[in-house]
Amino acid sequence: MNRRLFSLAATALAALAFPTLSHAGDELRVMVHSSFSLPKPLLAEFEKEAGVKLAIIKGGDAGEMLNKLILTQANPVADVVYGIDNTLQAKAQAAGVLDSALAPVDYGFVTINFDKTAIAQSGMALPTSLQDLTLPAYKGALVVPNPATSSTGYAFLLATLAGLGEEQAFTWWGQMRANGLKVAKGWSEAYYTDFTRGGGSHPLVVSYATSPAAEVFYAKEKRTQSPTGSLNLKGSVFKQVEGVALLKGGSHRTQAQKFIDFLRSPAVQTALQTEMWMYPAQASTPRVPVLQQHAAEPTHFDNLPLSAIADNGAKWVARWTQVVLK
Amino acid sequence: MAAVTRLNLPRSFWLALLPAIALLLLLLAPLARLGFAGFSGEFNALGDLSLWQPWQDDYLRWRVLWSVAQAAITCVLALALGLPLAWVLARFEFAGRRLVLRLLMLPFVVPTLVAALGVLALWGPRGLISSTLGINLQDTPWLLLYGNLFFNLCLVVRAGVDALGQVNARQVAAARTLGATPWRSFWRIEWPTIAPWLMSSLCLVFLYCFAGFGLALVLGGQRYATVEVEIYSLVAYELQLGQASVLALWMLLLTGAVALGYAALEKRLGAPVRTEPVARVHPRDARQWLAVAGALAVLFVVCALPIFAIVIKAVYALWTGASGLFDAEALAALWNTLRFSAVALVLATLLGVLHALVAQASVVWRALAFLPFVVSPVTVAFGLLLLYPSWTASLPLLLAAYAVLAYPFVAKALSAGLDGLPAHLTQAARTLGASPWRCFWRVTLPLLAPALRRGMAFAAATALGEFAITLFLSRPEWATLTTLIYQRLGRPGQANLDAAMVLACVLMTLALLAFLLIEWPVREHATADSDGHGSRVGSGMTISH
Amino acid sequence: MLELRHIHHRYGDQLLLQDVSLQVQAGEIVALLGSSGSGKSTLLAIAAGLQRPDAGSVWFDDVDISAVPPERRGFALMFQDFALFPHLNVQDNVAFGLIEQRLPKKEARTQALQMLEVFGLSPLAQRKVWNLSGGEQQRVALARALITRPRALLLDEPFSALDADLRVALRDEFRNRIRAAGMATLLVTHDAAEADAMADRAVRLMAGQLVPDCNGAAG
Repeated sequence: MNRRLFSLAATALAALAFPTLSHAGDELRVMVHSSFSLPKPLLAEFEKEAGVKLAIIKGGDAGEMLNKLILTQANPVADVVYGIDNTLQAKAQAAGVLDSALAPVDYGFVTINFDKTAIAQSGMALPTSLQDLTLPAYKGALVVPNPATSSTGYAFLLATLAGLGEEQAFTWWGQMRANGLKVAKGWSEAYYTDFTRGGGSHPLVVSYATSPAAEVFYAKEKRTQSPTGSLNLKGSVFKQVEGVALLKGGSHRTQAQKFIDFLRSPAVQTALQTEMWMYPAQASTPRVPVLQQHAAEPTHFDNLPLSAIADNGAKWVARWTQVVLK
Repeated sequence: MAAVTRLNLPRSFWLALLPAIALLLLLLAPLARLGFAGFSGEFNALGDLSLWQPWQDDYLRWRVLWSVAQAAITCVLALALGLPLAWVLARFEFAGRRLVLRLLMLPFVVPTLVAALGVLALWGPRGLISSTLGINLQDTPWLLLYGNLFFNLCLVVRAGVDALGQVNARQVAAARTLGATPWRSFWRIEWPTIAPWLMSSLCLVFLYCFAGFGLALVLGGQRYATVEVEIYSLVAYELQLGQASVLALWMLLLTGAVALGYAALEKRLGAPVRTEPVARVHPRDARQWLAVAGALAVLFVVCALPIFAIVIKAVYALWTGASGLFDAEALAALWNTLRFSAVALVLATLLGVLHALVAQASVVWRALAFLPFVVSPVTVAFGLLLLYPSWTASLPLLLAAYAVLAYPFVAKALSAGLDGLPAHLTQAARTLGASPWRCFWRVTLPLLAPALRRGMAFAAATALGEFAITLFLSRPEWATLTTLIYQRLGRPGQANLDAAMVLACVLMTLALLAFLLIEWPVREHATADSDGHGSRVGSGMTISH
Repeated sequence: MLELRHIHHRYGDQLLLQDVSLQVQAGEIVALLGSSGSGKSTLLAIAAGLQRPDAGSVWFDDVDISAVPPERRGFALMFQDFALFPHLNVQDNVAFGLIEQRLPKKEARTQALQMLEVFGLSPLAQRKVWNLSGGEQQRVALARALITRPRALLLDEPFSALDADLRVALRDEFRNRIRAAGMATLLVTHDAAEADAMADRAVRLMAGQLVPDCNGAAG
């Protein structure tokens, strides 16, 4: 028994030595949110050109990711971060985790999607305004992600506040709650579980203007029409701009800067349209056909000024929780 | 012989030094820091947060009340189901009875995330039973309650069996001859004897359910999550440290109150007495056989079926060729789990041995061994986060936290073993020429080997299934199997769920392996078992053979 | 010569031992009588060095050994419940003390076997101790004690756990072996007949004080 104990102790202490070895900083650590996706060949090409290995760290939802960065400031877990959007920008800057300005990489529009088949089957007409959704005809029709845990849900909340004004917006939310509003933890749960396209029972979901194009792209059979569409009602569209920035306390500065340039290069700007389903921030990039045909950009969106978001965001989320979830 | 061998003050001081430092720095200080943050409102920059907010705010009040309610409901269910089961196991003799008693300990080595997945595999949206029956239990409290029962039913059954073994057969015989029916005899003789034991175990059940995190996180859903999950959400998603610390403070107070109640109960119980236990009988008629079969069936459904469900789903997933299940991410997580658990086990064993030795001489230290059991990992992790901001995401802190949460199992098991060790053995060794160290090495440790192994098995299982601390304090590259499972669960789609099931299967196998490797080859030592009594489950889950 | 000088000891708020002084010569067997709870076992523990008295000292051959730890006093202690080590077989039990004296394991085992032969217990050498009868266990315990050649032997009610016939048989055997070894022996017992049969003289512990036993006579 003595020998077994000792050998166990020895291997354990040896294992303790391993982390210090593997923690050698020969990788460029990139913190991203969980929706990040780029083709592997593209990433491999970057690694070759920049001469550094990439470690892509998925930090969960964008808000969750930012919180992680703030909590671990003293000992940063990454060198460069992608995925902080305009709603989180002020918080990131206030916390002092960024070491450079946020360089925009892509943008998208949070809006309500509808399932054409399910709507037709149920015989409901398409709603023409947010107020319509509170009518009994649309009881239990909409599923939204929780603004507290999902940046998509947060963006949608901000859109309603911008479109309806604070008091009316919260009244609307209260009416929606009474009308069978379903709240999901995040966008993925809402889209892939509760939306009728994912096998759920809700034909309306808060998603992105590009989602209908994604439906066509990933469809097994060729389609000319997307099975879903965007409603773009007044007070329900938010323009979300995502950016990349250097992290304070990170290493590999030159390579990190190269990565930032890489994300804004034409190759990536084209690829991200069909990988992450966002519109490229670089104006000169051409839209890919599937986005052109099935995901027209909404003409109108409701964004609040960044300062307003920075000052009141937490308060609004708390009030939303009270009104909708309590 | 008055077996009081007074430890010289210097020696017990040195023995206690390491556990004292560990408890102080890694448990008491973070809790104090958390309490201070909540009490002083230091994160309350807007000044709109009060100490009483959890009671004033509707949403939070619901959370707190539900947390209490689900723990209480679990207690009631566990007692209602567990007492009859315990009675059957304690009063009837049938083939495989001892095996069943042994297996009752298994749910404790199952990591909470694995158990949560097991419940999902059975009753979740695409669960084996729920899809057959066509019911949807999502967004209901039943998932969480079922998960709670999975862990805690066995605790109550175990305590019940031990307690029923304490009932004096002669008293029961006397009552029967005096005209009491079996039911009356149970109610008037047996129940008063076993009630304190059961109440004590129910305190523990309440604490586990109230302070539990993994189950509530996965099974609670939006509506039925507990305060622990709320604290985690507030910290991780919203960075609302102020609100989180107020909630955490109240959690501390509430768990502290229950823990004190538990300690008081334990004290009243006193040492198990050697009585002639009621003899077990073979089931005679159909009704009795039915009772035995029914009891085993209930145990199987509640405690074993979730595990089988995971295995079934995992095998099915692998069969249908889900590729990429063992990608680099999964392998890295597996490696992390293994090495973290190994280091934590070594540290926990060291701390546990030292603590147990000191606890022999000090009642305070005996009580202190309970401390890591009754604090919730979320509050400890959060406190560590606040207290050592520059050490967040550093390996030594992570591993030390693992060790502190795991070592009570070693300490409790060893304490129980040391209690059962006749003092004369060490005294004889001393007079035969062995110095205190030689005596420990040659006599005490070999005789305590079964108890030590038992404690190490539970400590290893705890480390393997550790979840909350890793969520709070780990770096992304240190993801363990548990956090990876949770991540996969968070992504939608059947593929991710399948991947989670397979990973859960791997984790469970690891936990079982650790349990078997360390615990199984038990050599019976007459002295260690000479008293023939089982230590109370509440005092550390040691098994009576 | 084993000497206890002016031992005072309290147990809680009870005065257990009051100014107890005792001398045991080499080769002498002294019986210590008294009712249960009178402090006899405590006195033995103090003599062995397992407990420190509140006041008083322990001397051997005119050397103050009060501060010497039990493993270096060279006294052997025997118990009512035999205290054999369950994780070692009979032979290794007997060899235990020799290994503490830095004898190599093989050598110790050989000597242990020889000792067992002297006791007529060699067939039991490989047996597990809990399979032995009470009488066998106590004899193994004596072998284990004597093999270390102790300077003094301290016996704490060694036969209380055995039945009457065995007690008588072992009484004689032990007395003869102890006499042959010629060491100072302090025998704690509550049985006056046993004290009569085994000891050279007897003392009684009453109310914390040592009085010569009125019934004491040469063994």
